[in-house]
Amino acid sequence: MPLIETHELCKTYRLGEIEVPALRNISLRIEPGEFTALWGPSGSGKSTLLNLLGLIDTPSAGNIILNGRDTANMTDAARARLRNEGIGFIFQGFNLIPVLSALENVMLPLSIRGVSRTRAHCEADRRLAEVGLGKYTHHRPDQLSGGQRQRVAIARALVTNPLLIIADEPTANLDAATGLAVIEQMKALNHTLGVTFLFSTHDPRLLGHLQRIVRLSDGEILEDSMDALPNLSTTLPPSPTHTEGAAA
Amino acid sequence: MIALTLALRNLWKNRRRSLATLLAIGIGFAAVNLFAGYIANTYAGLRDSSIYGEGLGHLTIARKGYFANGSLQPERYILSPDDLTRLTRLLREDNRIEVVSPRLSASGLVSNGKLSTIFIAEGEDPALANRIWQHSNARFRLDPQKPAGGLVSKALAERLGVGPHGNLVTMASTLEGQINALDLDVLQVWDTGNAATNDKTLRLPLGYLQQLLDTEGASRVVVLLTPGSDADTLRSALQPRLRAAGFDMEIKTWVELSSYYRQVKRLFDLIFAFLFTIVFIVVLMSIINTLSMSVMERVREIGTLRALGMQRLAVIRIFATEGALLGIAGSLAGAVLTCTLIALIHFGHVTYTPPASSTPVPLSIAFLPGMLGITLVILAVIATLAACWPARRAARLEIVDALGHI
Ligand SMILES: Nc1ncnc2c1ncn2[C@@H]1O[C@H](COP(=O)(O)OP(=O)(O)OP(=O)(O)O)[C@@H](O)[C@H]1O
Ligand SMILES: [Mg+2]
Repeated sequence: MPLIETHELCKTYRLGEIEVPALRNISLRIEPGEFTALWGPSGSGKSTLLNLLGLIDTPSAGNIILNGRDTANMTDAARARLRNEGIGFIFQGFNLIPVLSALENVMLPLSIRGVSRTRAHCEADRRLAEVGLGKYTHHRPDQLSGGQRQRVAIARALVTNPLLIIADEPTANLDAATGLAVIEQMKALNHTLGVTFLFSTHDPRLLGHLQRIVRLSDGEILEDSMDALPNLSTTLPPSPTHTEGAAA
Repeated sequence: MIALTLALRNLWKNRRRSLATLLAIGIGFAAVNLFAGYIANTYAGLRDSSIYGEGLGHLTIARKGYFANGSLQPERYILSPDDLTRLTRLLREDNRIEVVSPRLSASGLVSNGKLSTIFIAEGEDPALANRIWQHSNARFRLDPQKPAGGLVSKALAERLGVGPHGNLVTMASTLEGQINALDLDVLQVWDTGNAATNDKTLRLPLGYLQQLLDTEGASRVVVLLTPGSDADTLRSALQPRLRAAGFDMEIKTWVELSSYYRQVKRLFDLIFAFLFTIVFIVVLMSIINTLSMSVMERVREIGTLRALGMQRLAVIRIFATEGALLGIAGSLAGAVLTCTLIALIHFGHVTYTPPASSTPVPLSIAFLPGMLGITLVILAVIATLAACWPARRAARLEIVDALGHI
């Protein structure tokens, strides 16, 4: 059974009179354990698709089947529960809660679920150690570097043992080396834990590290490396900002 | 649990703003409680001066209709000596009753030989009257040894140019309608404290007034209760007993007879309600304002919590907890402020001059722990409910929009 299956997924934004089609007829299957990147230029619909698959936004048409469950008619509360139990999120801007320590941030999804403090504490400790931040449990986010923050976020995404981790441009706010380290860490976790990763990026330096690449353009799937393995590095000219980033 | 942690940490993070809100609540809390303490003492003072000083006692018992028509046709409602004996015996059976004092009222003219003016007089047994006055700080007394000695109100004495040991003549029509006159010895002059009565009131021995009105009876009976007994409770207990004994009587409490007390109370209660409303609105607005800011600053955090699976209701709970904490902490600060100010006023011997008085009196504010508790609960509830308004907005945010918020 595929972990994610979408049929003819559409998302249209309305800006006054104008309709902006952000996604058009996306049909996609993702199997458990995959390490998949959404690739595409700015505005191609990567974030929109990840938001829909992460159940934090609703499609205009089409449906999403998550782990065999149709999510179309779920109540808001049921979607929240499913997010909490089945999906981990890593954000571009880390999105740690500033008033909570690293450990408390990692505990957060469990606290939301109502897991006892001691168990959440124990689990979060383990996850922080896993991402190499065992010594930083009591640091507040503003006392951590960008890379460390993103690793806290990874630990937070992992703490509930989710089926799926969704990451929208997890490396965009990090320098080249740190970004690569974060991707390597995600990949290692994908290997050891078998957790499915789905993330977006437009950083060409990551290309060599990806297993499956779904290329979006104008809200449509242009290519999927599952179908054929195109040479993406030649078809996609790297954006100037990222060339600078790579040089740094 | 997570709601409490987030609420506490965020309040601490914005501690300046929290402190400002907390102080607004605390000052409002103190204003309400200081005023409540002030009027409680004022009511107690007025109550004592009505019951003991003015001699209204707790209950006044008279024949049915007396309170409406007694001043026009006193003879119709007179209680005979026999009635008075039976009534007194019946009333004294109740050990909550301390004094049973028959009373007679009259009006007429009082003269110093040259000038005459109208008077209204209360006649009562001197020994019983003195017993009631003992409970108050009143310094005047009737003298059981002087059956023709009475008290004259200050403005009346001044008008007639008499002082203690002076002599006057009272004139009134008897219950039968004949004109009668008697000599009166001035025992003491006292200030009624009320311009409406100060120029015409006499307090006389019951026997004197009976002689003037040519009757052996009294028009009503004033009952003083032992301390701690409730006038309304006793009235309900007495009514059936009086009826059973064949008396068709009406019983009024001192509150019903003291229009001054009721007027002052109505005014102060109104001011209190006004003050409380203002404090209510201040608390409401400051909480809404503070938490709206808090929600605005934490839109991304709210989006994150929702993405991580927090339910809308749990988001509301975070902000409601913040409101409740501000309400409770503000009230506690207010309670401390109230106690401090009461102590300062008490030990600093602060005085003030009330509008009706010419001399400064000590400002005394009652310490009302019950009132502190009630205010705390009310303000905490208001703060929590007020917080729900911005909290609902937070919970309704679209997650994607909230996450995209900078
Ligand atoms: N809230 C919105 N209202 C209107 N249009 C939107 C909204 N969000 C996205 N869009 C539009 O939808 C399209 C897809 O946007 P999306 O953010 O998914 O692109 P993206 O691939 O993530 O781009 P980037 O690499 O810059 O993050 C764009 O044309 C964008 O302008
Ligand atoms: Mg994007």
